[in-house]
Amino acid sequence: MPAFHIPRQSVIGMEGHWAKMFDPPNESPDTPEFVEPTNPVPEVMLAAGYLDRVTTPHTVQRDLMHGDDIETWDGLKELVFFLFRDRDNPADDGHFPGATIRVPRGVMFHCETQGHGPPPHTIHWHGIEPTPMNDGVGHCSMEIGHYIYQWQPNFIGSYFYHCHRNTVQHFEYGLYGLLLIEPPDAYFASIASIDPDGTYHLNDIPIGACSDGKFRIAANLARFPQFPGFIGGDPVEGVANGDPHAFTVPYDVEVLWVPDDRDSVWSDLAPDARATYPRFGSTPGVDDEFDRNPGHDDFFAFNDFNADYWFITGVAVPAHKGGTAAIPPGLVIPPELNSGVSGSQISVNARVGQTILVRCIDAAYNSISVTLPVDAVIIAMDGRALGVPPFGLYNSAFILPAGVPFHLSTARRLDALIRPTQPIDSFATVQFIDTRGQVPGTPEVVLMTARIPFVVTP
Amino acid sequence: MALSRREFLARGLGGSAALVVGSAAQKMPFLPHYASLSVQTLNFHISDAIKDMVTHNAINEAQCYFWVFKEERWPAEVPGPIILTTYRETIEITITNDLDEPHAFYIPGMFNSGPIQPGETYKGSFQASKAGTFLYYDNLNEPVNRMMGLHGAFIVMPAAPQPGHKYTPYVVPTAAVQRLFDDFGSAPWWPGLAWEEGDHDTHTLAFRQYVWVLHQASPNLFAEVGELPPGEIYPGDQFMEAFLRDPFSPTGDNRIPQYFTINGQSGHFAHNSPHLCPNNRVGEPVIIRVLNAGLWTHSMHIHGNHVYLLALNGAVQKNPLWVDTFTARPMDTFDWAVPFMRPPDIPNQRGIGRADPGLPTAGGGTTWPPNEELALFIPAIGERMGLDLAGEPIDLSVQLSPLCYPMHDHSEPSQTSQGGNYNCGLVCGIDFTGDRNTPGGATTFPAGGEHEGHGPEATGPAAPPIGEYPQGTAKW
Repeated sequence: MPAFHIPRQSVIGMEGHWAKMFDPPNESPDTPEFVEPTNPVPEVMLAAGYLDRVTTPHTVQRDLMHGDDIETWDGLKELVFFLFRDRDNPADDGHFPGATIRVPRGVMFHCETQGHGPPPHTIHWHGIEPTPMNDGVGHCSMEIGHYIYQWQPNFIGSYFYHCHRNTVQHFEYGLYGLLLIEPPDAYFASIASIDPDGTYHLNDIPIGACSDGKFRIAANLARFPQFPGFIGGDPVEGVANGDPHAFTVPYDVEVLWVPDDRDSVWSDLAPDARATYPRFGSTPGVDDEFDRNPGHDDFFAFNDFNADYWFITGVAVPAHKGGTAAIPPGLVIPPELNSGVSGSQISVNARVGQTILVRCIDAAYNSISVTLPVDAVIIAMDGRALGVPPFGLYNSAFILPAGVPFHLSTARRLDALIRPTQPIDSFATVQFIDTRGQVPGTPEVVLMTARIPFVVTP
Repeated sequence: MALSRREFLARGLGGSAALVVGSAAQKMPFLPHYASLSVQTLNFHISDAIKDMVTHNAINEAQCYFWVFKEERWPAEVPGPIILTTYRETIEITITNDLDEPHAFYIPGMFNSGPIQPGETYKGSFQASKAGTFLYYDNLNEPVNRMMGLHGAFIVMPAAPQPGHKYTPYVVPTAAVQRLFDDFGSAPWWPGLAWEEGDHDTHTLAFRQYVWVLHQASPNLFAEVGELPPGEIYPGDQFMEAFLRDPFSPTGDNRIPQYFTINGQSGHFAHNSPHLCPNNRVGEPVIIRVLNAGLWTHSMHIHGNHVYLLALNGAVQKNPLWVDTFTARPMDTFDWAVPFMRPPDIPNQRGIGRADPGLPTAGGGTTWPPNEELALFIPAIGERMGLDLAGEPIDLSVQLSPLCYPMHDHSEPSQTSQGGNYNCGLVCGIDFTGDRNTPGGATTFPAGGEHEGHGPEATGPAAPPIGEYPQGTAKW
């Protein structure tokens, strides 16, 4: 017999919080502290012909979820996907990953969200820091239902959005997309005029570019003069001087890498989006239902993840466990799934003397190790530009040399800037590293290696 | 309803027990949120325990066998109590091995008891020769003895700040880390208190710091180890293979971990613990020390605020990144500074991340403080009811105050217990209880009225040491 018994703590006096933790309520409240939305992106998308309509002015639509089965690259499996859908967008009847949401810094962002197929769900805006109801975490607020999420992005950078209901399953099955915060004059710069009836007319500035016609990202590159067009600002106050381009740098080519992994056994055995919904009992803490896990014998092993299929930004990597494979060259993200921005790449295809921005987020449950074929400058982590005053007074952008791997675990992001000085015909590599194999003193277990074409022509 | 003292005692320690060693540390309020005992020596027994895990209740027994560092003055718990001292303090330690195989007590680079045979007692002393965040653990038969529960956090604070500067957690901070701590409470973009600074009038404690020891527990494998005949050793490589790579079983009868813990707690017991979850106002920066005692990598994501990475595996950072997620590989330790700035994407006048006035709302208020949201109950009062142990109805409504955010492992298989039961895994939180910088002085958000209390001030002190502790009162 063990010498001691460690009792579980009591939940007396905390029954409400206890029950809400694993059994959040499904609600459709009005948005508190409601402010009229000002996000121009839906109207600009409509004017460009990418949307059929704008159901609610200045409001992005995301329904979740839309189920889909997608055949694996080797034809051996059908993977179950849970997908976001944009009801205003004829091109977006459920896409993996979800269509990219871009928002200018400082606008009032609204996203109208309806959960069905089956509800409940939430949307969490990863890295955005609004009030709890707008943070989209059930046990801290509620699940939906119908709701208009409201926040105002304060920092330019790379984020993502995903369902935070039973996240272990819903995020894994594809309920996520990129969320990119742009300079404050992006999208506004592309508007030529607005009719009294609210119809937008566009000018020649590419959608997503700033008023100087350039695409810009937040950075402090005072120490890295190889990137032309960098605009500084107040060394202490940062962007507080009002210049929308303060502490930004132009880029010519944008690259979006979202490495992900799937476990086809989970897909086969747990296709039900309602898996693992424990319920509170009549006496919370005493008779709660912790055995309602649809699966085998009321148990499904969501603690046991074993990836066997891999993706880069939704593109299947044709290799099995232990293998290495490349995704095709020339992959470009269509503007209708990219908030109207044209030309964003997955496989890199640039010219000498262009500035390339690589945004990378680990959406896999395993860690990744990213290696570039050329020196890069890491300008931001997790949506925070390094070295930009005042909050970046404590850090600075840094060089990631060619061939040196950079590790990211799930949900971490990096933004890298590259300005190649000579032609490149090579690959970037993404190694997927088993999070159950990073034991000190033993070699890391590489599950598979994805190669991303990286071509720079004269 | 604020918990009565009796009810609070019944909640147990829940990973909040600490030992503060040496007169220099005892003079300073370094661990304000833990149940601290001032001691001159450490008296450990290496023993074993059966623990009721997060999903344990009357209809679903969920227990796990552990080995424990049982300090004489605290009840048994996994991990062992937090030990805090100051730089260069000498610590005397006595360790008795009550189990039937050799065990040890080890702090990398500072102390190694060597093997202590069954029934034997080790007596010795060591000096806290480095400041920072360290694991203490049993380094014999790695990783078995550590994974079975023989681990805890060893925290060494500087005895004084750098001359002319504010306190940091380090004897030799980098320029960037020193500047950050100097700026907290001083720079216009960090209005409020310095880290070393408390405020009696607002019940704000100085040196706000939290210690999160991460671990994974496999009831099937740990039981196998516990059932070995006396003197037999479970081979470390065999343990690792079973713990990390046992073949998949949809019914959960394999030997990979089923429970994922922060200071031995999961789900509600971590997030809603005032000792593990920071409960502070805007302008009251805190430090979180993260130690991964386990064998899985976790990707720790915090909502509500980005955090500065102060130190990683003992290296104070020259370039402290400002991140919302960071990697905790096995045996990694890192320290975060949470600025407790207002969650910056709550609408405000300029939209550049500063504590600007809020914007006018349709309801006639402003976006900060979010009083409409803070007043909501979800579920609503009376919407969800339960019965207490006496059969009396209890209201399960929850007010959206204070502002509640999670911190969780984004490598989500750890967000489970017993394979499913989402949100009963490796999750804690960060709660905003008010704002120091509202016009007219510090405000405190409503703490749930009659429904809940938050924070050590609202719920009373942490549970007391042995003697006053209700042994064996498994009162769920």
